[in-house]
Amino acid sequence: MLRRWDLLTILGMAFVTYLTRVLGFWVLRRHTLGEKATIVLEAAPGCVLICVIAPVFATSRPSNLVALGLTVLAATRLPMLPTVAIGVSSAALLRHFFG
Amino acid sequence: MRNLRDKTEPAERAVNFGQFEMNALTSEGPERSKPRTAKSLSGPLSEVRRGALRIAPLLIGVAPFGLVLGAQAGQKGLSVVEVALMCGLNFAGGSEFVAIELWRNPPLLFLIVGMTFLVNSRHLLMGATLAPRMRTLSARRASLTLFFMADEIWAFGLEEARSRDQEYATGQLSLPYYAGLAAGLYGTWLISTTVGALVGPRVGNPQVLGLDMAFPAVFLVILKGLWKGHKAAIPWVVSLAVAVALHLSISGSWYVAGGTVAGLTVAYLFPGQKEC
Repeated sequence: MLRRWDLLTILGMAFVTYLTRVLGFWVLRRHTLGEKATIVLEAAPGCVLICVIAPVFATSRPSNLVALGLTVLAATRLPMLPTVAIGVSSAALLRHFFG
Repeated sequence: MRNLRDKTEPAERAVNFGQFEMNALTSEGPERSKPRTAKSLSGPLSEVRRGALRIAPLLIGVAPFGLVLGAQAGQKGLSVVEVALMCGLNFAGGSEFVAIELWRNPPLLFLIVGMTFLVNSRHLLMGATLAPRMRTLSARRASLTLFFMADEIWAFGLEEARSRDQEYATGQLSLPYYAGLAAGLYGTWLISTTVGALVGPRVGNPQVLGLDMAFPAVFLVILKGLWKGHKAAIPWVVSLAVAVALHLSISGSWYVAGGTVAGLTVAYLFPGQKEC
């Protein structure tokens, strides 16, 4: 099944992603980017990622907060799969026992 | 990934994404070389194989990401065809995670497309670093090559080309080797996300099972891969604080754009010191 707005969004994503891939090649190879622009560019992905998961941080439910804390801790020292496992299982267990 | 840091020149700047740490040349002048093509004594097919073997160990780590992404997309109501289409045409994992997390029915086109551009803006630097190593390619081949420029493919392609650097000649990208890298990653990504999308909708209530924590966990792991020291993380903290405040005070998805703009403003105004 393919809905119109879904398709348009997917095509829009594909378009801008391809743009970032060719634009750097065709434009930036002749001009070097300034220091400030580079810093902003390098900060961008992290800023977007953290904002997207901001709602998870905006909770007052204790079990969610504890699960989030454990997940952050896991992410700083473990690879992806164990981190996901800790995040998911701690959220499920804490919610089950403490609501 | 340590091997990618060998032969680091002073002009090189680190570009970081995911669990990959990579060095990029940002100021390699066009005057530096006579182009030199990859000389493969044993034919292009063995070059393809060499590329595929180089990326193979990494694919074991990529497939779970794809499964989680596809499964979540399926739970959000995207069809299998739509998931395959997104991953096949966009082919940039980070932005796909962002899109799926923000996805609702119908999707907010401008928000998702705008955030996709921002998350993938790092490609601008990556493409620029490949330019001196793609001088022998026609415009058409270059355009096709760049379509597959994902973080891992870029890093390994650059690494291989750099290994053939000579004093007066910049090592050129080996196209068959690059094709081997691309085939491995592209195939794995497409298959794992599609399988995830098939399985996802069959999983029970995600809230009860704690599955809503899977995505934040993935995002946090990616963020750790981007980590470049406390000072470089200040814009992130500002982004998070503003986004949380906006999320609590106004409805809708403005918190994403608002938080991002706040973080980037801080990065622009207080560039700080680079720590690596």
